[in-house]
Amino acid sequence: MTSEYLWLLLAFPALGVLVNGLVGSRFRETTVAAIAVSSVGLSLAVALGFFWKMTTAAPVARIVATTLYTWLSDGALQIRVGLLLDPLAMVMVLVVLGIGFLIHIYSASYMKGDEGYRRFFVYLNLFIFFMLLLVLADNLVLTFVGWEGVGLCSYLLIGFWHQKKSACDAGRKAFIVNRIGDFGFILGMLLIIVVFQTVDYRELATIVKGSHGVSPGIIALMALLLFMGAMGKSAQFPLHVWLPDAMEGPTPVSALIHAATMVNAGVYLMCRVSPLLGQSPEVILVISAVGLTTAVYAALSALGQTDIKRVLAYSTVSQIGFMFVAVGSGMYAAGIFHLVTHGIFKGLLFLGAGAVIHAMNGEQEISRMGGLFLEIPATAVAFIAGLLALAGVFPMAGFFSKDAILWGSFEHFGMTFWLVAFAGALLTALYCGKLFGVFFGPKKYDGHLHLPSRLMVWPLAILAAGALTAGLLGFPMFTKDTVFARFLGFPATALTADAGALHNLEIIMTVLQGVAILAILTAAVYMFTKKKDRMAALGDAFPRTAALLAGGFGLDRINDVLLVRPVKILARFNARIIDSRIIDGAVNGAGYLTMFAGRLLAGLQTGQLRHYAFSVIAGTFLVLGTALYFAGLF
Amino acid sequence: MTLYHFVGLGMALFAIGAAGFFIRNNAVVLLLCIEIMLNAVNLIFASFARFLYGTEGQIFIFIIMMIAAAEAAVGLGIIIALYRSHKTLDMSLIKDLKG
Repeated sequence: MTSEYLWLLLAFPALGVLVNGLVGSRFRETTVAAIAVSSVGLSLAVALGFFWKMTTAAPVARIVATTLYTWLSDGALQIRVGLLLDPLAMVMVLVVLGIGFLIHIYSASYMKGDEGYRRFFVYLNLFIFFMLLLVLADNLVLTFVGWEGVGLCSYLLIGFWHQKKSACDAGRKAFIVNRIGDFGFILGMLLIIVVFQTVDYRELATIVKGSHGVSPGIIALMALLLFMGAMGKSAQFPLHVWLPDAMEGPTPVSALIHAATMVNAGVYLMCRVSPLLGQSPEVILVISAVGLTTAVYAALSALGQTDIKRVLAYSTVSQIGFMFVAVGSGMYAAGIFHLVTHGIFKGLLFLGAGAVIHAMNGEQEISRMGGLFLEIPATAVAFIAGLLALAGVFPMAGFFSKDAILWGSFEHFGMTFWLVAFAGALLTALYCGKLFGVFFGPKKYDGHLHLPSRLMVWPLAILAAGALTAGLLGFPMFTKDTVFARFLGFPATALTADAGALHNLEIIMTVLQGVAILAILTAAVYMFTKKKDRMAALGDAFPRTAALLAGGFGLDRINDVLLVRPVKILARFNARIIDSRIIDGAVNGAGYLTMFAGRLLAGLQTGQLRHYAFSVIAGTFLVLGTALYFAGLF
Repeated sequence: MTLYHFVGLGMALFAIGAAGFFIRNNAVVLLLCIEIMLNAVNLIFASFARFLYGTEGQIFIFIIMMIAAAEAAVGLGIIIALYRSHKTLDMSLIKDLKG
């Protein structure tokens, strides 16, 4: 296919960064926004062109690859700047550019009048560029470049309002926590380089699938280390602590980076290295366990939040946990399917939350919202569509993708595992019900509301339509051979046991799950929208539990005590003792020594000619004598 | 008369010159001491040239004599300048080399 045009995908956002970054200060806000939006739009057009070509091509010919140049070359190890667009990357590119495009449009209105308008769009375009690089890279090293790039943009955008100390702290926290994950990523990458002498995904897959003679322990270690990187970027327990705080950034950023695209990079990476995972069942179990823990833990924490964006942030952590459960169950297609639907409806929810916050003049506390449905009906309808999709109500997108994951976990790990995952899904419905309270129930605000502009409502409408229809990708249901899975081309896991009986069980379970989720959601909506807030009363009745949930089970405090404080103490020790005493002592000591020696030797300078003459003669005799002595003359 | 006698005389002359340079104070005497040392070296060169049947030593003597002549001219000039500026030739009183 037309691989020579692949670089265009990256070129447009890069161009947007350059134009806006270098000469943007001369433009008006509208021009800056137009450049930024159109750069992503053009990239999206190119991506759609590739997508059209790909769907019409035969399944085996669905790979577009190109090597731009060789970056490093060392014997067997070749690290190339190469782009690879296969169905998996295609899906990610469409998610990044599709949702990214809508969010760019939304931001053009949302950020209007902000002092850093141009800076915001430069960062946003830069993010799109790095995200595409991450997705399109055909080897681990180049992926890592994009990986770090999006991390940088995430840091810059979380701390976008750098006048606020909390925003700066949140940015740093995100960066530092991600460093821990990246440490694993780098180690895993180095291990792969040392053992396999390649970083190219396709070469790696070929080697791993063949008889390579590498012990399974080493392969498991590689997979685990890479998963550590994925845990950092995708905010999995216990490295998720940065994501709720990342909500300090502007809301479109939360929608784009911290819900729809960047935080999914870990899931994407795991799918990319799926041949490695296929060789190490223990690692797969670890991934599933971490995913499941995160899914339930974050759902519980979401329940305790009172800030609308923090509810959504914990919800994101929880949903990504579900994706990892899918990846761990070997259901890569289901994981990516949930990634796509989640990207759509969580992007929608964040943009909707942005519109609500905008309407409420910056108010983020749920307890002070209520009865907004009639005030901002378009936003409300879109937001509720997003909530239904998140809860997994039939026929919204989340129903299909979550069902696939739940079934996969049951099939792969059995009843207990499924029960916990299902509990997580029910909790999801519960905190979704909590957010209904924003739109229904008694009004709790006074003052004038800002109505969202048309530029903000249209992206919401489009995403809501997506949340409604994206489930179609999961048809036909109750098979592993859905439209989506067929496009992705991951090998469907073969059913070994009694397929017929299992098939019936799957249908029954899906219906039961759907009904249970709907029931919980209805109950939750009823509870949260009543005049007398029953949940608040419940929180008052059990204040310690409420505080525990709100604080994410005190993990921040645990981190503070176990990690942050020891590091700070060590830093203070280094600054006060090691640096000021030992390092400075050595430096100053060298100075003092020189001065002392100088003062001592200055006494030799008398100004008397005969003293100089004597030293010349004495020196001559000394040198001559030494030379003769060593020559053995006496 | 062997080579040792000549070399011994040369060394003695050099030692006398050097010792004079260290202990005398008058600048003119110092210049004379330098001349003694140079000629001591000349004598040693000449004796080696004679006893080894070579000519290189003799060539060195001419070079040293030239340097000695130039040095005497420059040295006397320095002594006159020194006397004009310090009104003395006692080297123990002149400490201009001390920075």
